[in-house]
Amino acid sequence: MTVALEMSDVTKEFDGVRALDGAWFRAEHGRVHALLGENGAGKSSLMNVVCGLYAPDRGSIAVDGSPVRIDGPAHARALGIGMVHQHFKLVRPFTVAENVAMANRLGGRWTDELALVAETIERYCGELGFDLDPQARIDSISVAERQRVEIVKVLMSGTRILILDEPTAVLTDDEADRLLAVIRGLAERGTAVVLITHKLREVHDFADRVTIMRAGRTVADEDPKALSDERMTELMVGSAPRSAAAARSGGGRVRLAIEELAAARDDGVAALAGVSLAVGEGEIYGVAGVGGNGQTELAEVLMGVRSALGGRVALDGEDRTSAHPGERRRGGLGTVPADRYLYGLTADLSVAENFGLTGLAAGRYGTWWVASGRMRGDTEAAIDAFEIQCHGPASRSRLLSGGNAQKLVLARELSGGGGILVAHSPTRGLDVRACAAVQSQLLEARGRGAAVLLISEDLDEVLDLSDRIGVLNRGRIVGEFERPANRHEVGRLMVGHA
Amino acid sequence: MIEFLANWLAFTPVFAVPLLLATLGLIVNERAGVINLGAEGMMLCGALAGVACYIEFGESTAVGMTAAAFAGLLIAFLFAFVVVVLRADQVVTGITIVFFGAGLTGLIGLRWNDTAIAGFRKLDLGFLSEIPFFGKVVFAQDAMVYLTIPIAFGVWYFLFRTRAGLNLRAVGENPQAADAAGIAVDAYRFCAVAAGGVLCGMAGGYLALAAAKIWVNEMTHGRGWIAIALVIFARWMPGRAVLGALLFGGIEALIPRIFAAGWPVPQYFLQMTPFLATLAVLVWVGVAGKRRSAAPGALGLPYVREDRW
Amino acid sequence: MPDRAAAAPGRTFRARRFGRLNLEVRQSIGRFKHAAFIAFGLGVGLAISVAILLAAGVEAANIFDEFVVLTFFDRLGLSSVLIECSPLILVGLSAAVAFRVNFWNIGIEGQFFWGAIGATVIAIFDVGPPSIRIGLMLVFAIVGGFLWIVPPAIFKIRFGVNEVISTLLLNYVAYQFVLNQIYGAWQDPRDRFPHSEAFDAAERLPLLGWEKVHLGLLISLVAVALVWWLMQRSRFGVYMRFVGANPHMALASGIPVAMTIFLAVGLSGALSGAAGFVMGAAQEHRLTGTMAAGYGFSGIMIAFLARNNPAAVLVVAFLIGGLYAAGQSVKVFYSLPQALVSLIQAIVVMCVAASDFLVRYRVHWLRGDGR
Repeated sequence: MTVALEMSDVTKEFDGVRALDGAWFRAEHGRVHALLGENGAGKSSLMNVVCGLYAPDRGSIAVDGSPVRIDGPAHARALGIGMVHQHFKLVRPFTVAENVAMANRLGGRWTDELALVAETIERYCGELGFDLDPQARIDSISVAERQRVEIVKVLMSGTRILILDEPTAVLTDDEADRLLAVIRGLAERGTAVVLITHKLREVHDFADRVTIMRAGRTVADEDPKALSDERMTELMVGSAPRSAAAARSGGGRVRLAIEELAAARDDGVAALAGVSLAVGEGEIYGVAGVGGNGQTELAEVLMGVRSALGGRVALDGEDRTSAHPGERRRGGLGTVPADRYLYGLTADLSVAENFGLTGLAAGRYGTWWVASGRMRGDTEAAIDAFEIQCHGPASRSRLLSGGNAQKLVLARELSGGGGILVAHSPTRGLDVRACAAVQSQLLEARGRGAAVLLISEDLDEVLDLSDRIGVLNRGRIVGEFERPANRHEVGRLMVGHA
Repeated sequence: MIEFLANWLAFTPVFAVPLLLATLGLIVNERAGVINLGAEGMMLCGALAGVACYIEFGESTAVGMTAAAFAGLLIAFLFAFVVVVLRADQVVTGITIVFFGAGLTGLIGLRWNDTAIAGFRKLDLGFLSEIPFFGKVVFAQDAMVYLTIPIAFGVWYFLFRTRAGLNLRAVGENPQAADAAGIAVDAYRFCAVAAGGVLCGMAGGYLALAAAKIWVNEMTHGRGWIAIALVIFARWMPGRAVLGALLFGGIEALIPRIFAAGWPVPQYFLQMTPFLATLAVLVWVGVAGKRRSAAPGALGLPYVREDRW
Repeated sequence: MPDRAAAAPGRTFRARRFGRLNLEVRQSIGRFKHAAFIAFGLGVGLAISVAILLAAGVEAANIFDEFVVLTFFDRLGLSSVLIECSPLILVGLSAAVAFRVNFWNIGIEGQFFWGAIGATVIAIFDVGPPSIRIGLMLVFAIVGGFLWIVPPAIFKIRFGVNEVISTLLLNYVAYQFVLNQIYGAWQDPRDRFPHSEAFDAAERLPLLGWEKVHLGLLISLVAVALVWWLMQRSRFGVYMRFVGANPHMALASGIPVAMTIFLAVGLSGALSGAAGFVMGAAQEHRLTGTMAAGYGFSGIMIAFLARNNPAAVLVVAFLIGGLYAAGQSVKVFYSLPQALVSLIQAIVVMCVAASDFLVRYRVHWLRGDGR
């Protein structure tokens, strides 16, 4: 086995925040290397250095044994390095062939070249067992297909070092297994594959070697067979608390009722096709499902930022289907959105303003003058109660880490006291500690009698926290389970074509 | 009536060409993701340079148009440096370019103010120009009118039938993806702005040398803004830009015809029509096209490779 | 695997010889550093402006005298600065209020005209008793400016029509309407010049008793105080900040987003209308076709340099008033066109906008291979 990639002592700071701190990494041709670590550990940053997007502050890189200074993505490509990013680098209004052609020059007249690219895509698809239409527009194909486009695009550049950033995060279990088999095949033919992941199962099943990162440093480089799950977790997160699994809690009177709710995406495609569910007092209702089955639209319709095309939403029996978000909030609703800096926070305004805004809108801090002293006081109390690390209420919320930003949102949404909470992927992108803190806050809220609708693509989270589970598939609740739910049964409904 | 129609249609291209040139330039700009609100300023600089060089260097329209293009290019370099390299706010900078252009031309244009020139002459294509009605409308225009047709085709061909055009559109739709594919985002944007500046400069030069045949301060009189609106109307497609330019050129050409016909229409209300028509078109596009916008995905957003937000 | 040689021919990469700039996005910046960078931009802008003045024939020795000493440290000079800055403060506030909710009101001149038209209607038709006529003129001016911005505001909120273009187009429409009036029905019967008849004494803003400084200055200062309270201390001000910075979050948090935009934009129009009133009732004493010239861009520029802060608007408008006043005297003594003022403003704005580069990014030089 020859060494394909060797990185040592790589350091990278983003405006004083050290994302990589003397990290090192080694990959060999013909092997699958897992790069394991939790969110924010520096995995993606390290690989972005390799593919030329980030210029490291310090450190050395050698490709195929010779030291290089990678000067941009074009250089990385020329060195045979290709990366499939977690957020795909595809131009949505372009066709598959155009996207692939953008990154690969086959020469000749442009129209001929495009035809040649399309032909080549089909040849690669044949080899890899993919099914892609080169003339399809990116925004008309599924997430899994987009990922295949990325893989073909990267391989066509003559990639000898293939990096995949959390490739299975957007796939169903079935699709993931197929993809990993393809990757295995590529490795057998001599490619060095780097698989960025935080799933231990993938490491055990597919990797020949695992490198573990924590807080910007490389903490281990081992044969995965020599490491137990417990040991890997410990290396990943240090010693961390796990949120205690909650006992079943009975639902009281219904507080949030959804009947036959229908809604469409921005482009007019139907996203919700009649969702019905009810959440009672002191209950967490978990909505499980593979991403893209209507979760975002469900959360947005409930927040009041997307209009329902049919059906009914009632809070405490009052119809609020087409109410302004302010009215919903007065009706007792709090929302924790998935995209914190879209619907949850405004990065350039202060922590106190972000915390106080909903109260302000509800008139709690004065009608005309803003009672800014009281607002600051309440913010300070919330900072203490939720252990939010920040430089005081006046600091900009942009400076909060992901976990602290989410705690701020949660603190605000629970402070209204309405007792109905819609939480969409509340722990997405958080490290283990913050994740546990957020989950225990949800459980505590339930303990205080809140009705919580938890929409999450993380099945473990749904199974851990929910009293009842509904499976969302193609815009419908296709099955409901009482706690304890059978993981296999839930998973089957998530991917089924029922 | 026929004569009125013939006169009107014969004058339409003279007004349509500057709108079309500017709109094409702005389409190239915006397809690369740069919104250029400074078109008016670039056109003014082109107009002054065109007239000044026409007067000073042997009354040649070719020299005038070249100078106009060059003036547009220089202003575009300034704009591109500030918004592409320094990544300043495109809206503020664009508006500033308008007043920069107006101020600069107002200051150095004094010498050439109000000097009437011969400018572009209508071509005489022999018997073709003699054909009744059609001869006057189609075969008796000036050289630039005929030259604009291949320019429009060229812009379309470049954007949709070449690799560089694909790259440019990729840069405007999704610079992250373009960068990862090894496309030099900044270079494409810089060149797109420069090309847009050349076309806007030519639009101004033609306006002065063919339509107005004179230089006066702020003579573009809002045409740069109409061109910006036409880009939206054209859904960023050169073909539809031709239609839009003809439509608005037609409206502009109608105004002097109506005066000439001596109809009792209030002059100043008539002068409002291009602006009101533009507004109407914008509202129409807004009402009709709300569901799917054709605007480039990264329009107006500066790109920074290491931006993690 | 399909053979790679055929798929990826001639892959050569030429390394950069000299290197390139790499930008690091700053998450925050110290106050002092921030101020220093903006001051740097301002300094570069002023230096270029001075160079232009020199090139235009103003003598080097006189620049400081004309633009500083005789403008700000001379009784007559200072009084004309105060006169010039009254409408500037109002248009600056107008732009600041609209920009705060992310609405680019480029149509200040149109609203300014409609303010002046509103005041003129009251004045030339002698509406109401003379004792309250000046007040009535102000009210009509405010209504005129407000009404002129209502269509673009609704088009933006309802149909997503780009307000930069719509407000700007309406400037030309307003201008043509003014021409229609001053060349037509309202033409001054006395001298037949294209402007309205002069306002009577009761239709002019009274002087404050110091040179020719008039009540317009006080109106502007009161407006600053009110807008400052509204933007910095009131509940509506917080709404405006959130709507401007993140309308999605504002909506999800229960803020009436559309109404906030509409009211802020309406206030912007009203302030521009008030500026038209001050110009008409205190400086021109009539409706003219040139009275709004330059105020649109100056308003934008003042709000931009003041970072939409009403208190800072006061300071910047005062300095721009100095530029206007000095521009007037340079115009007389060196026969330089008014365009000079426009040019200098544009250069300063561009330099300050460009200096944001240093505020936003930390710049590194990545070495090339230099072979």
